[in-house]
Amino acid sequence: MRQIVIAILGLALLGGALAQQVRIMGYGGQDPAIKVRLLDEVIGASLEAEGITFTYEPLEGDYNAALFNALSAGTAGDIFYIPVETAPGIIATGKVLPLDGLIDTNAFIDSLVEAYTVDGTVYGIAKDFNTLAIHYNIDLFEEAGVEVPNAEDTWESFADKLRGVAALDADVYGACFPAGFDRFGAFAFATGWQTFDATGASNLLDPDFVEAVTWYTDLVREGVAIQPSDIGQGWTGGCFATDNVAVAIEGAWILGFLRNEAPNLQFGTTFMPIGPSGERGNFLYTVAYGVNVDSPHRDAALRVLEALTSPEAQQWVLEQGLAIPSRTELADNPFFLEDTPEAVANAVVFAGADDGNVLGFQFGTIGTDWMTPVNDALVAIMTGQSSVEAALTEAQRDLDALIQRAR
Amino acid sequence: MRTKRADTVAAYLFLLPFLTLLTIFFLYATVRAVYFSFTDYDLFREPNWVGFRNYLALFQDALFLSALRNSVLFALIVTAIQTFLALVMAAVLNQKVRGIGFFRAAFYMPSITSSVVITLIFLWMFQRRGLINYLNESLQRWLPILVAFVLIALVLQVLQVLWERSRALPARWTDPALLVVSLLLAGAAIWLLTTLGMLSPRDVAPVDFIWLQTRDTIPAGAPFWLSVPIPLAAIMIQNIFTTIPTFMLMYLAALQDVPKSHYEAASIDGATATQQFFRITIPSVAPVTFLVLTLSMIGTLQMFDQVAIFGDAAPLRSVVTLAYFVYNRMFPGAQTPEVGFAAAGAMFLALLTLAVVLLQRRLVRSEGY
Amino acid sequence: MRAATVAPTTAEQRAFEHWQARRRWARAGLVYALMLGFAIIFVGPLLFATISSLRTDPLAYPPTLAIPQLQPGNWTAAARLGQAGARDRWFGGFAPGAVVPFEIAYFVPDGIEVIEPEVVVPRRRPGAGLGAVLAIEFAADYAEVYDLRRLPDVPMTVGDGDLTISGRRVAYAFEVRYLGEGPEIDRLPLDVTATVGMRYLESTLTASRLERRGRTASFDNITPGVLGYVLRNYVRTFNEVRSPATLQSLFLVWIGNSFTFAFFRIVVTLAIASMAGYALARLRFRGRGLIFMLVLFSQMVPLQVLFISNYLVLRDGIVTVGDFTLSSLWGYPGGMLNSLTGLIFVTALNAGAVFIMKQFFESIPREVEEAAMIDGASHWRRYWSVVMPMARPALGALTILTFQGAWNDFFWPFIVLTSPETIKTLPIGLLSFRNTYGAVGDWGLILAGAVMSAIPVIILFIVFQRYFLEGVSFGGGKE
Repeated sequence: MRQIVIAILGLALLGGALAQQVRIMGYGGQDPAIKVRLLDEVIGASLEAEGITFTYEPLEGDYNAALFNALSAGTAGDIFYIPVETAPGIIATGKVLPLDGLIDTNAFIDSLVEAYTVDGTVYGIAKDFNTLAIHYNIDLFEEAGVEVPNAEDTWESFADKLRGVAALDADVYGACFPAGFDRFGAFAFATGWQTFDATGASNLLDPDFVEAVTWYTDLVREGVAIQPSDIGQGWTGGCFATDNVAVAIEGAWILGFLRNEAPNLQFGTTFMPIGPSGERGNFLYTVAYGVNVDSPHRDAALRVLEALTSPEAQQWVLEQGLAIPSRTELADNPFFLEDTPEAVANAVVFAGADDGNVLGFQFGTIGTDWMTPVNDALVAIMTGQSSVEAALTEAQRDLDALIQRAR
Repeated sequence: MRTKRADTVAAYLFLLPFLTLLTIFFLYATVRAVYFSFTDYDLFREPNWVGFRNYLALFQDALFLSALRNSVLFALIVTAIQTFLALVMAAVLNQKVRGIGFFRAAFYMPSITSSVVITLIFLWMFQRRGLINYLNESLQRWLPILVAFVLIALVLQVLQVLWERSRALPARWTDPALLVVSLLLAGAAIWLLTTLGMLSPRDVAPVDFIWLQTRDTIPAGAPFWLSVPIPLAAIMIQNIFTTIPTFMLMYLAALQDVPKSHYEAASIDGATATQQFFRITIPSVAPVTFLVLTLSMIGTLQMFDQVAIFGDAAPLRSVVTLAYFVYNRMFPGAQTPEVGFAAAGAMFLALLTLAVVLLQRRLVRSEGY
Repeated sequence: MRAATVAPTTAEQRAFEHWQARRRWARAGLVYALMLGFAIIFVGPLLFATISSLRTDPLAYPPTLAIPQLQPGNWTAAARLGQAGARDRWFGGFAPGAVVPFEIAYFVPDGIEVIEPEVVVPRRRPGAGLGAVLAIEFAADYAEVYDLRRLPDVPMTVGDGDLTISGRRVAYAFEVRYLGEGPEIDRLPLDVTATVGMRYLESTLTASRLERRGRTASFDNITPGVLGYVLRNYVRTFNEVRSPATLQSLFLVWIGNSFTFAFFRIVVTLAIASMAGYALARLRFRGRGLIFMLVLFSQMVPLQVLFISNYLVLRDGIVTVGDFTLSSLWGYPGGMLNSLTGLIFVTALNAGAVFIMKQFFESIPREVEEAAMIDGASHWRRYWSVVMPMARPALGALTILTFQGAWNDFFWPFIVLTSPETIKTLPIGLLSFRNTYGAVGDWGLILAGAVMSAIPVIILFIVFQRYFLEGVSFGGGKE
C-alpha cells in the first residue's frame, strides 16, 4: 500500500480561475513517472488551457485492497485504475460512474470494452493492455548450442529446447514456471479449455485442463523448469534477470524491469508455443480508468480521462516503449516495425491479443480468489505432494465451495 | 457522606478521558463487532441481519479452517517449547557470577526490537540460500568431526571420573572440573586429527530446504489438524527465539527467591542436578509457570504481525492465523470486504482467548496459588 | 554423605577443599561458556544482519563474514577512486575534470584467444522503487574510456589437486575521464565485457557482480569513496527512496513520524493513565470495582476483535451526525484514517498503563497525602502537587516502555496509515521497503533500514536497562 504522491505544481490561473485538481489513484512502479511525463510532454498544455491539472497517487503493494479501502473511506481519487480481474467486484460497490454517453467507446478494442461492461453499461476505459510472450536469453541458448524459441514452436519442440538449455549446468533452468493460474492459464487455454464453460461452471477435471496441468508441472518435476521462489525470486522476471534461466513467460511489463535490473542481458521475444489444439493460448491483462461517482469535479475528471486515453497520449506511451495502446487506430504504428528487442517484444505482445484462444484475466465477482484452489493444486503437483488427479479433484471441491458461498 | 459524594465526582472527573476512550474503543467496539457478526455488512451497503449464517460459513471456509488449525498448533507448540526452554535456561543461568548483567542485557536484545525488524531479519535468514540453510549445511559438513569430538570427550570424562573415584574423591559423572579438562583435551585431539588429515569435513550438497514458498507440512502427510505448515514452523522458530528471553528473565527473578538452602540440602542428600531441577526448581516456580503459560497462550493466539510481514513470501494458507483471517476478510483485496464474516471470525478468536484465561484461572484456583 | 568417608586428616582435608575450589572455578567457567553461547544465539542474528547489510547483495551465497566491504584493500581503493572521481574520499562521485584510473585482470587458460575486453559506462538506473524515476543525469553522457592498454601477462595456473588449468593472467589498465563541463554525478557505473573463457580474477575495486554468465564484470560505482562503498546500502536508504512530491527522503520522514507518534503517545498515556490510576488507587466511589474489572478485561480482548469497529470509527471521524463529523473539530472533516492524530486516538486506550499507575499509587503511603488533606487541598492539588512528584520513577518507567511500544507498534499503524507514503511510521515504512525491494531480491536496503530502525530502542535499552527489566515484572503483574 505504498503510496507516493506525484504532485505537479501546475497552478493554471487562467482568467483568475483556480485550477481544478483531479486526483488519480493507480499502480506504483513505473506509472508515476509515466504520468508526470505524459502531463509535462503531451497532455498538460491542453488541460491547463481548460484550467485542469491532476495529481497521481500510486498505491503500491496490494492495489485492490488499498482501493476498496479508499472507496469505503471516501478517500478514493476522482479517477482510479480498475484492474480487469477485480472489475466486477469494484463495479458492484456502486462507486464507479457509468460512462455511457459520456465517453465514446467505439475507438477502443472491443474485447477491452467488454471486460468493463456490466449489464450493457460501460464503467471503464482500458488504458492499455498486455498479453504473454516468450522472452529468451540469447547468451544462454548460444552457450548451450540450442536454437532459440520461435513462432513455429509447439509444446513439444519448445520443451525440448528448454531441456537442451537446462542440461548446461546444475544451476541453469530452461524456464521459471510459477505455480499460479495467472501465467499457467495461458497454457490451459491453448488446449481449447475455458475458465467458465457454457453453464458458467469451471471444470478442472476436463481432459484438456488435465493435459495442460500435466505438461506444465512435468517440466518442473523434471527439473527443466523451476518455481521462482525456489531460486529466491518473487516472479519470473526476477528469475530471468539472474542469467540462469533461459526463458521468461511474461508480458511487456518485463521490459522496464530488465532495463533497470539486467541492463546487459541480451534477450529476444517470440510468440507463445502452439498447444495441442493447434492454437496458442493467451491471457488479456488490462487496466482501465474509472471515474468516482462521488467525485466533486466529475466533468474535469472525465476530461482528464479523455486526455489520458487520447490518440496523442497513447501514441507517445507506445513510442516510449511503455505500454501497448487500447485504441484500434494505433495497430499500424511504425514503432511496432522497429528492430530493437523492446520493439519486437511490444509487437509480439500486441499481436498476441488475437492469436489463438485469448481470454480476459477475469473471474466474475469471485475475483482472483478463484485462482487459489488451482494454485494450491499446481504447487502440490509441482512439489510431488500430490498426483495431478488427486490435486485437481481437491481443487474442484474447494472451487465449488467458493462459488457456492459467493452466491 | 459529603466527602464520599465529592470523591465520586472527583473520581469520575479523573477517569473521564479514560472512560471515554474505554467506551468508544472498547465497549462500543465490542458490541458493534458482535452485531456485525450477525449481519452481511460489506462497508458499502447497509447491513442485513443474517442470524448465525456467518458462523456456519466459518466452518465451511477452507481459509478459516487453516487459520484455526494454524493458530491452535502455533499456540500449543510455541508455548510448550518456549516455556520449557526458558525455564531450563533460567535454571542454568541462576548462578551468582560476575557480569550476569551484561549477558542478561544481551539475551534481552531480540525482545526489545520491533517485530518488523526481527521478522525481516528472519525472513532474510529463511531464504532458500539464507543463513539457516547454510548453518544446516555446515552442521552436516562438520558432523563427523562433531561426533568424534563428543565421543573423545565422553571417553576422557569416564576415564577421569573413574580415576578420581579410585582415589576416593566423590566425583560425579558430570563433574565440571573434569568436564573442562575433557573438553579441552578433546578439542586438542580433534585439532591434531584434522591437521594430520585423519578427519575431514564431509562434502555435502548445499541444503536447499524451502522454508517459505511451500505448502509442505511437518510431519509430511499428517492429518490436516496435526500438520504444521513449514512456513508456520519458521514463524514458530522466530517467535520462540524472541520470547524466550522475556520468560527466562521472569523465571530468573522467581528463582532468585528460591532459598539456596533447599538445593544444598538436596545436594547433601545426593540428588543430581536433574533431580534437583525436577524436585525443587519446577515446583517452586509453579506460579510463574502458570503466568508464563497464560501470557504465552494469549500472545501466540493473537499472532498477526509475522503473517502480515511475510506477506506474499509464503502461501497465505500456510501461515494464516485467526487474527490475520479477521484482517484478511475485512480487507480481502480482490473482492468487496466481508465485514460480517470477519466479525464472526473475530468472535471466535475472542471466545478462544477467554476460554484459555478461564481455564487457567480454574487451574490456579484448584492448585491453590 | 560420601564426603564423610574421607579421613579427616588436615593434609587430606586441605586437598579436598582444594578439589572443591577447583570444581567451583570450573563450574563458573562452564557457566560463562554457556552464557556466551546463549548470547551468540540471541544477538547473533541481529549482528549478522548488520554485517550483511553492508554487502552489495546480502543474499549472496554462502553467507560469510569475509565480505569485500570489510577488506581494507577495497577501502583504500574506494577512497583513492573517490578522490580521483570527485575529490571526495568519503562519498566519491564523478565531477568535471575527473580522471579515474582502473585495472582489471583475467585468467586466460592456454589455447583461448585473448580479445581486448569492451569497457562501457552504461546508462544504468538505480534498482526498483522511485530511484528509477528520479535519477536524471547519467554518467554515461559525460564519461569516456581512454587509453585501454594491456599490461604484461603473467603465467599462472588455477585449481588444485588433479584439476589444474595452466594459462596466464592478462590484465588491462584504462582511465575513465569526465568530458568537458557538466554536473557532478553521484556515481560512475562500469561494465567490462570479455569473451567467453576469460575468467574475471580481480580489479582495482571488486566487481559488484558478474553478469552475462561471467562475461561482464559489472560495477555499480567505481568512484564510491570509503563511506559510499562500505555504507552503500545505508546511503541508498536515505537517498534513493524519496517522495517525488517534495523530494524529501522518505526514511527521514518515517523516522520523524515515529518520533512524533511516540512523543504524543507518551504524553497522552502518562496523562490518562496517571489520572485514572490515581482515582482507582486513592478514591472510594461507586463503580470502582466494575471499572477496575473492565481495565483487566479489556487487556484480554484481542485487538482484531476491536479493530473492525475502531477502524470504522476513525473512518467516520468518531461520530457523524448529518453532515457534521466530530473529528472536524480538530481539522479532520474527512475522517481520521491516514493521520497520526487518528493513530494516537485509537492507541490512547492503554489499560496496562492504568494498571501500572494504580499499582504504583497504592504503594505510596497514605500518610503523605493525609497531610495535604488536612490542609484542605483539592483532589487535583493532591494528585498534581503531592502524588505526581513522587511518581517520577513510575512515570519514567512508563515513558520508556511507552516509547518502546510506540516505536515498535505495528498493528494500528498498519491499519491506519496506508497512504500517502509520507504519513507512515518506521515499521510500516520498512514493510513497504520489503514489498518494493524484497520482490526484486534487493535485501541490502531492507536490512540497512531494519538495522537503523532498531538503533533508538537499543540505545534506550542500554541506558535505561533497569526499566526494561522492571517492565518484565510489570508484565508479570498483569494477572
